[in-house]
Order: sequence, then C-alpha cells, then structure tokens
Amino acid sequence: MELIGYSCAYVPVEILAATGLKPHRLLHGEIKMAQDGEKYARVDACPLVKSTLSYVVEHREEFRCLVGGSGCDMARRMFDILGKIVDIPTLVIDNPRTDRFSIYSDEIDWLQKELGNITGNKITADAIQKEILRWEALRRHFRTLDEKRRAQPSLISTADFHKAVVNYHKGEIDFPPFIPEKSSDKPRVYFLGSALPYEANPALMLFEERLRIVGDNNCGLSRFLNINCAETTLDGLKKAYYDQPPCIMKRPNRPFYEHVTRQIRELECRGVIAWTLDYCDNYEFELKRLENRIDLPVLRIRSDLSFQNLAQLKTRIEAFAEML
Amino acid sequence: MTELLTPRERFNLLVIDEKPDRCNVLPLITSHSATVTGISMREYYTDGVALARSQIAAIEEYGHDAISIFSEVGIIAEAMGSEFEYPEDDLPILKTPALDRTEVDKLAVPDPARDGRLHVYLDAIRYAYDALADRYPIFAYIPAPFTTAMMLSNPDRFLTDTIRNPDRVKATMEISLEATIRFVRDIINTGGLPLIVDPLASSSVISPRTFRGLALPYEQALIKYLHRFDFDVILHICGDTTPILDLLPDTGADLISLDKVELINAMGKLSKKMRIIGNYDTSAIMNNKPDEISHKVKEMVKLGMTTEKGYIASTGCEVPIQTPRENLKAFIGAAKEVGWYWE
Amino acid sequence: MIRPVEYIRNPPPAKISIEAWTEQFEKVPDEEIKRYTYYHNNDWGRYLFPPVLFMVYGARELKRLKLDNSFAALRMWGFVFNETERLFRAGQSDKKVIATMGDLGIIPIIIQSFPNCVPFYPECIWWTPFFRESTEMLDFATKLGIPEAACFSRAALSAFHKRAYFPRPEMVIASTGASCDDYSCIMQQVEDLGYEPLWIEIPLRRESQKYLSADKYENAGYPARFEDYLINEYKTVWNKMTALTGINNLNRLKDSIIKANRLRGMVEEMKNIAGQAENQPLPALEMMTIEFGNLYGYADMDEWINIVEMLLDLVRERVAKKVGVLDRNAVPVAWVTPSADPYLLNLVEDLGGRVVATEYVINQALVPVEENIDPFRALARAFMKSSLNGSTSERVKRITGIAGSGQIKGVIITNMLGASHCAMETRLIEKELQSVPVLAIDVPAPFGITEQIRTRIEAFMEMIR
Repeated sequence: MELIGYSCAYVPVEILAATGLKPHRLLHGEIKMAQDGEKYARVDACPLVKSTLSYVVEHREEFRCLVGGSGCDMARRMFDILGKIVDIPTLVIDNPRTDRFSIYSDEIDWLQKELGNITGNKITADAIQKEILRWEALRRHFRTLDEKRRAQPSLISTADFHKAVVNYHKGEIDFPPFIPEKSSDKPRVYFLGSALPYEANPALMLFEERLRIVGDNNCGLSRFLNINCAETTLDGLKKAYYDQPPCIMKRPNRPFYEHVTRQIRELECRGVIAWTLDYCDNYEFELKRLENRIDLPVLRIRSDLSFQNLAQLKTRIEAFAEML
Repeated sequence: MTELLTPRERFNLLVIDEKPDRCNVLPLITSHSATVTGISMREYYTDGVALARSQIAAIEEYGHDAISIFSEVGIIAEAMGSEFEYPEDDLPILKTPALDRTEVDKLAVPDPARDGRLHVYLDAIRYAYDALADRYPIFAYIPAPFTTAMMLSNPDRFLTDTIRNPDRVKATMEISLEATIRFVRDIINTGGLPLIVDPLASSSVISPRTFRGLALPYEQALIKYLHRFDFDVILHICGDTTPILDLLPDTGADLISLDKVELINAMGKLSKKMRIIGNYDTSAIMNNKPDEISHKVKEMVKLGMTTEKGYIASTGCEVPIQTPRENLKAFIGAAKEVGWYWE
Repeated sequence: MIRPVEYIRNPPPAKISIEAWTEQFEKVPDEEIKRYTYYHNNDWGRYLFPPVLFMVYGARELKRLKLDNSFAALRMWGFVFNETERLFRAGQSDKKVIATMGDLGIIPIIIQSFPNCVPFYPECIWWTPFFRESTEMLDFATKLGIPEAACFSRAALSAFHKRAYFPRPEMVIASTGASCDDYSCIMQQVEDLGYEPLWIEIPLRRESQKYLSADKYENAGYPARFEDYLINEYKTVWNKMTALTGINNLNRLKDSIIKANRLRGMVEEMKNIAGQAENQPLPALEMMTIEFGNLYGYADMDEWINIVEMLLDLVRERVAKKVGVLDRNAVPVAWVTPSADPYLLNLVEDLGGRVVATEYVINQALVPVEENIDPFRALARAFMKSSLNGSTSERVKRITGIAGSGQIKGVIITNMLGASHCAMETRLIEKELQSVPVLAIDVPAPFGITEQIRTRIEAFMEMIR
C-alpha cells in the first residue's frame, strides 16, 4: 500500500487514512541517516529532520504524499526542501503557535480538500467517521496498555511500549499489539523532550535498566493517546486534535508546563529525563525553565542520534538513579 | 545581590541619567596598582604595558569599576620641556620647569607619539582597551591646562605673573590648552575617556578669584572641546573645593570628583546639576582599620546615592601607594553592599 | 576655539578609519552639531557625534571598521549608535516604549500611529556583542540557560535581564508562528521577567504549487484567508494600543503607512541606483544599516527619514558623478542573510567585493504598503511578502533573478550557528542558485573572524572575478 508520510502530532491521522493511503509518521532517526541528510540541510539542523530528509529521499517510491505542520520551523522547512528534491505532493498545514482555532480549523478543511484532489479519493464524512472509529479503538487499546505502564508498580516498560507505538505511527493498525508485562519497582521517572525516533529503542532500554519510565509527553511515545475523539465528525476530529495538551512550541507555553507537572505529580515520579536533540531550539531553550518548574531532579540527555557512547550514558543514568 | 551589569554598562547608564543596578565603585586606584603586580614605580610610569597590566591586576584583585590610567600631573609639562626626576620607588618629581629655561613663545605643542612620556599613556590605554574595554571604562587622567601651566613654571612666579605679566600667563595657558587638546585627541582615538585632573586649581592652592579668572576658563574650554564629541567629562579637583563649589557647575563637567568637602554640603549645591564622585578621605583609607572604613563608607554611600544626578563611590583623591589591600577591599566591599539602586 | 577653516560637507568618497573621522569631525562647525536632534530636544537630543565617541564607550570593533566619510554617513552613524540612549530618553520623557519582536517591520507602523509611542526591536541587539567585540552578553544568555549553539539573537534576552539597553517596555508584542524559532524561544523566556507578551500569530505563506487546487490564490500567490488572519492580529494590536493610549484614530494609521512608504520608497531607490551604479556609492555596511532602518526608524522615525533623505541625495550625487567608495573593478556579489558581524561586510569589500543586491530576511520591511485599501489589509498584504514565513525559493527569487541576468558574479550567504532557518535554507539556496558560485560563511562569535575566513573570501573573490 502506498504511504502518506506526516510529521506533526496536530495532523489528524484519520484524515490521512481516509485517503486510502497508509499513514506513516516520519519519525526515523539515527546518526547515519542524519549524516546522509546533510546533503540537504546543514550540520546544525535537527538530526531528526536530517534523518527524515534522507529517509524520504531513499524511500521516495513508497510515498504518495507528504503532510507536515508548521509547528517547528525546521520541520516546516524540511517540507520546503522535500518539495524541491522529490516529486511527491507536499502539503504543510499552518499549525498556529498561539490559540487560534479558526486557523487550525480552516487548515484542516483545506487539507481534507487537497488530499482528496491529489489522491483522487474525496474524503467524505463517512470515510472520516469510519477512520475515527478505527483509530479511536486502537488508541483505546493503547490507553489500556498505558495504564499498566503508569500503574503502581509499573507493569509495562516504556521500551516495550515504544515498540508497539512504532506500529501505530507506521500505520500498522490492524493488529492490536500485545506487550508482555514486566513489573518494576525501579525509580519512577517521566520522559519528555524532542520526538523520540523509531531507532531510539536501545536508548530506552538503557534508561530502563535502572529506571522505569512511567509517563511521557513525547511525540514518539504516548502523546498520541491524548487524542480523544468523542464526536465522529470532522468538527469533532478538529477539536480533539486541537485540544490535546499543548506542545512546548505553543505560545505561551504555560499550559504545557501545567500539563506536564500535573502528570508528574499524578504518576508519583521521582525524576525527569529531558531528552533533547542537538539544535532542538524549542526544548533546549526551555531546559532551565523546566528545571525551575519541576521540583525534581532532571537528567538532561542531549543526542545527535548516535547511540555510540552508551557507556558514558549508562554511567550518567546510574548516577541519576542513585540520586533518586 | 547578584550583579547583572558590567562596569561598562553601569557607567553608561549613569551618564544617561539612569540608575544602574548599583552605584559605580571607583576608588582612585592609580599608582597603588603597581603594588599589586610588584613592579617599581619607575617601571609603572615609564612602561605603558606595565602600567596597564598593573591596572588590570588591580581590577582582578579588588573588583572595582574602571581602569585608571595615570601617573602624575606633570606629564604634559614634561613633554613640553619641564624636567622631572624619576625615583625608583616614587612618582616623578619636578626638577626644572620648562619656562625656567626658555620663553613661552618657544614652547611647542608636543607630539604624543614622540614627546616625553605621553606615549606611555597611549600604550597603556591601548593595552587595557584591547584587554577589557568591552566590560570596563578606561579613564585616562589628564592634567588640566592650569595644572600643566603651573608645572611649566615656577608656581610662585606663575601666580605672581597673573598680576605682573598677565600676557605671559595667558600665553602659557593657551599653549597648555592646545597641548592638552592635542593629547586628548590621541587619547580618545586610542579608546580612553579623558578624566580631567586640576589639583593645582584647588582652593588649597589658589584663591577662588584666581580659580575663576584663570583655571575655570580653560577647564571650560577643554570640556567644551570634549563635549563636542559628547563625551561625559569627569573633573577632579582634590583638596578643599568648598569655596568654589558654586563655580563647579560652570566648568561644564558632567561628573565632579570631590575631596576635602563635606559631602552633604556639596550635594546641597550640586546634586541636581552634576554627578558626584567621592569622597572618602585618602589618609583614612591608608591608616584606618578595615571595620572602621567599612562603617564610614557605608554611611557615605547611603548619603551619596541620594544625589539626584547620580553618584560614584570613590576616594577623595588617589589611593596612597602603600594602602593596605584589606583596606581597599573593605572600601569596595562596603560600597557594593549598600550601593544598590535596584531591588 | 575650534576654527573650521575648511569644512567640506561631502569630501571625495572614501571609507575612512576612526582616527580619520575624528580629524574630519573637528572641522564640523558647532552650528551643525546643534542643528540635528532627535525628539526635538536640544538638551540631550543631539546626535551628530563621530564614531570615536562610541568606540570609547565600548564599541571596540569601530577601531577596525572603515566607514563612509560623508556628512550624511556621520549623521547616520551618530544617530544609529545613539539608539540605546534614545530609548532611555524616550522613557524619561514619558513616551511609551514598546518592544516588538519577531515580525521585523510591520507592527511598528501601527505603534507609530499612536502619539508618543516608540517601537523598537530587541532582536537588533544581536549586533551589540560584535560591535563591542565581546561575548559577555552571549555568555550571560548561556548562564540564563540558553544553549551556546543558538542564534546570536539570544543577546536580546540578556538585554531584557540587564535593563541596560532599553527601558522596561510598556508592552511586549511577540510575533510567532511561521517564523524563526530562535526568536520565538527568546520571546517565551521574557515572560519570566514579569511581562505578559501580546502574542501575535504569523501565518504560513503557502504559495501556489502544481498539485494544489482547492484554494483560489489569485494574484497574491497565497490563500486570501491568510490576510484575514493577519488583519485580526493587527486589530488586536490596535485595540491594545487604543487601550494604552486612549486614542483610536484610523487616519493616524493611514498617515503612518504613508510615512513608512516614503521611507521604503527612498530606500528602494537607493538600493536600485546603488546596485546598478558604475561605482559603489555607499559601503555595504552603511547600506545594510539603511535597510534595517525600515524596521522602526531606530526609535525616531521622523528623524530617521530626514537622515535617509540626506543619504539618498548623497547617493544620487555620487552616482551622477560616477564616483564611489570602492575600486571600479570590485566584483559584484549578492548577500543573503545579514551578517551578525558588521566587520564581514568591510572585509568583503577590502578583499575586492561589492555588494549590489541583498536579501536580509526583512522583505516585509522593504515592500510598499498599499495606501488605497483598508489599512489593516494593506499591512497584512505587505507582511505576507515576508522573507521568513514562506518558502526559501520565494525568498531568494530576486537574487536568482539577477543571478540569471549576470548582474552578480557570486553570492555570499552568512549563517548563524543554531539559527533554525539558516540551518535549513543554505543548501536549498545553493541549489536554487545553480551555476552561480556561492560562498557560505558561518559567522563566528565576536572577534572571531579568522585568517581562514579571510582566505576563503579572498579565494572566492579571485575565483569569481
């Protein structure tokens, strides 16, 4: 099946699926891909963006269409580049940083129409309803799994959860995942930061040798579970995506901190892992504010998506775990 | 409290009538800085780089708010022909004034690159400017024309000539002014901010009448020259200036550095017109105990900070060479502790 | 005492050192110094002062820079370098100082239509560390938690904390959205200082492409509703300003647009005739400074317009006489993205280059604002031509156009490490320019221009000559 690639948590996957294409979230990221991506963007571009560039170029034949959001400047410009280097229709929705629902709503309307034109499959209300029910069912299943992850003690590791989530983001929704239970009473931590790519599972496994990640606000993990579409219409879909707990890029980002601190408290976390990619302005600029607002130890991990120096990372994680 | 500003930023705010985070703290640490690097006085006033390095070392030691490039008030007169002795461990001493050996119409405006030790200043400014002028003001203390004229002459004869030979005095003043302006131009091109010192115009030396007739017009002329460039001019007159307090605003100086006056009196007359610098007694900073210094400085600074145009905490005159380091640290620490404008 | 014997208002054009400027300034009569003021204040409002003043007060790079020797340039530099004092004097004289951030060129037109309101861009402080040859403000930002690999505009955050570069603004208007992330992140930090920024949304300019059909783009090249979004934003600004000042007079906004257009027209003419002249009439650094004046008039729009008039007269005169500040054989280049380090522009000229075209990410401050339609729509349309809210191709269209015509022999792109758009645009710009030689320079930290950079520029000039 042909793919429709997309980047942003504010792009409704249901609309993409209603085209008949398979939604594939562009969350590929590892060092070799990032280095290959430097043909198209400079070395000081986000490694996830560079990885995506090289991934899409290499797999261009698989993609029928690409959809992005303007939330992050580099991610938005990534689509500008892609539009020039691959002959794939590339659409970018204006995802407003500020609270402007009318802009978002108009953009989703536009997306619906354009995708219909490009794919030849008009996206009808029925198609949308069908996809909402399908994806909502899957999210319900994942929420059940997530509750086990968040439970006291935690019953599912985030590393295993991530493997299952990857399938969701890659549009493999026909087979609800099974995740083995592995109870843990290791120190409970919260994970947030730059989007975690598919290839980052080894890092999660390393974290969870000494810690248990019980909650997160990450595009590569459970953020999608915040989408709760009760109303199976386009309007309902817009509201569900718009009203999700805000991304750190939203302005002002006070609501982001309110959401995250509430989750950390509810989950009884003892520490936070702040995972940022090189040159991720939106998180790197905020790290100190984050530490000031979260009255818990924060482990800052900066990554270029190479997981080569795991020994050093391991030592830092051990020290952090000791502290907790 | 945490300091947010560099001394450069602090001074720049003061001179545009804004209150910085705290008052500038600038005891007149000049030749005393040679004791920080352990060099001889002679080396200090004959080697510009050594002078600058000593100033920088003093900043690092004490944490005050500016560099002070200065050796002694005869530097321009020397470049014009006055002879000085250079003791190893003291500042230059006037030996033979130029006008004892020649006539005033034979005096020439010196070239700062070649004549006398003017280049020492320029070398010092250049070095200090490159090292830290982004963060610190670099003050270059320049003798005013009256003080230079006195150093070109036998002082008694000079003052007598104001009655007996006013033309000669005027000619001496004029050439002194020209020489000062020439020097100042090079100083500013090198990055120094001229700070005019006119100790021999003090009421401890001359009468207010002589000040008004002779020193003041040339201070005004020099300051007017600097004001054309919009420089904020500090005028320092040490000694007792109480009798001429009313005349000080007429000089045109933007900041006035005071010595033996009651600060409260000076503030009464000058607070709205001039920023006040001063004026802890230099004998006290040399001889008193740190606790006493600290106590007095705090009182002084709390009062000085109420000056409407602004205030710089300082000593009345140059910090004596052998001042104990802990005394200076007490001064600076106390001034910084209480000198906060921002909450 | 100063007796100007030969006061030459406009000597034969040249770029001169700071010492030469001191000497030249001494010939300027007192009456001239007194003539020019900002805010019509004869006490502290004078600004006709030479570069040495600012050098002594910490702008160390002026020791290395060579500046144009005209009277008009003296007036310009005195005015521009005086801006910090001017902003504080504005606050002292009960003007309302408004920090506008992120949109680079349109919101000040609104602010300036209210009496005694002075808009300014804190981002423009990014030049200060370079003029000062000091990393202190950047290091200060690092202590605040801003990563070192972030755009130099982080100096603006230091400036907010230090309160030594502008008075506490009455209001902060922060434009975010389809713009640079670095600005957006800095604006967010400002909240912690007790400000409640008024957040303004910058919409994405989505240009027409072959497979897009749903929206009617008409002549604008983007969906009409994006203008409507911006109109709402600008009306929000208007309403806030009305609440702040008690004034609500749309005719003032129209007048402000006319004034802005007058400035934009003069600058456009200057750029055009300078770029096509036989000899470069004004150096690149002065030209960049003039362009950026379109953003907000350096906190006194009226006086800035007077200065630009004088500069335009000078440029016309020099072009007519076929005289200029560079060698006639200087190699024409275009410059994309402004350099944070002014010295780079001097250096390129010293090494044989001549900047004849620019794309300084401020197109929205250069284009005329329509005067015969609703003023908010006019502003929105002007903003929608912004450099940063659309595609890179559109941004460099003008450059690719003149590259094709042969008017330029090469393009210089200056990048700032960590700046989100620089990281993503440079390769694409190189690709768009195809066969035109491109030199991409990473602007180093203050006082960091190395022999290596110099050699690269030299080699580039040789190659394209």
